[in-house]
Amino acid sequence: MKALEIKDLSYHKNSKTILERVNLTLEAGKIVALVGANGAGKTSLMRVIAGLAKQYKGSVEVCGEADEDRRKQYIAMTDSLSAFRDSRKIKDVADFYRLVYPDFDDKQFADILEFMNLNADERLGSLSKGMKEKLIIALVFSRKAKLYLLDEPFSGVDAMSRKKIIKSMLLWKPEEATLVISDHVLDEIAPVIDEVVLIKKHSVLEQRSAEEIRAEHESIEEWYEGFYEGEE
Amino acid sequence: MKFKDNLPIYLQIEDYIYLQIAQGKLKAGEKLPSVRALALELTVNANTVQRALREMTAKGYIFTKRGEGNFVTTDESRLEEMKSKLLKQELAAFVSRMEKLGVERESLTGLLASYLEDTREE
Repeated sequence: MKALEIKDLSYHKNSKTILERVNLTLEAGKIVALVGANGAGKTSLMRVIAGLAKQYKGSVEVCGEADEDRRKQYIAMTDSLSAFRDSRKIKDVADFYRLVYPDFDDKQFADILEFMNLNADERLGSLSKGMKEKLIIALVFSRKAKLYLLDEPFSGVDAMSRKKIIKSMLLWKPEEATLVISDHVLDEIAPVIDEVVLIKKHSVLEQRSAEEIRAEHESIEEWYEGFYEGEE
Repeated sequence: MKFKDNLPIYLQIEDYIYLQIAQGKLKAGEKLPSVRALALELTVNANTVQRALREMTAKGYIFTKRGEGNFVTTDESRLEEMKSKLLKQELAAFVSRMEKLGVERESLTGLLASYLEDTREE
């Protein structure tokens, strides 16, 4: 069963090439790291998959559904919450999610908040970077999706919060759902991923099983850095 | 637990469970924790735990009862074999480290014997 199938995807924005001839297939139930330097196109790729960026060429199917609006029902993507004012409380954001997403599960949201040690009465403005990221993860896993897209969930997050976020993924990812996590480093998530997809020069340069890389190289991190040698 | 970066994790999970059995933390015929519980305990992917358990089942160290979970084999000779494999693995690592330090294989037994003599408890 395929969670995602992308064929010959190209995406240009203001006559600039963002993605070029991307082909990518992800099986259901996998945890996948989407890696690449900043600006390589990771966020754009997620936005195209999620149907947020529309002017692309090629085909994108999620659980066999190509239509942008209809494939949205299978996808939950992290949101930076930048549209919410600092004075808003966590429970206000949950109210919004409940309205917009019919698959939002209140009980699950309460459970994850508790696991993350977050209080629904706290205001967004009072949250640290790590707490805010935990909230974003709690919101995304409170939805019942087939494909979860987490865009850089660890940037600016301290080590303890990172551990908590990783545990929450293992706890709340539905077994048959696929999880894509973008990041520009790999060390922290390496033990939990099945596959690595490396984006470079606007396209998918490599797609490898994490265990295979470990068997053949000193570490996944070393393998990854090898693609950027001599570029600093 | 901290995993080595240059060895597939499913192999390291196998070793981790073998060690628990060898130490008696998991006994013959005892039920293993669920896949999900092991994944959380070790902070690894459930698919990787599944793979480790599949390998262990194929080798006959554990067996599956449909709908009940995975159990350590009750075949004592199988468990002895597993334990001796584990010991050989440790010995191989020890010998290889000593060789890197320039100790010849022939001098190992003598060195070890005198070390054991020196550190003998009264």
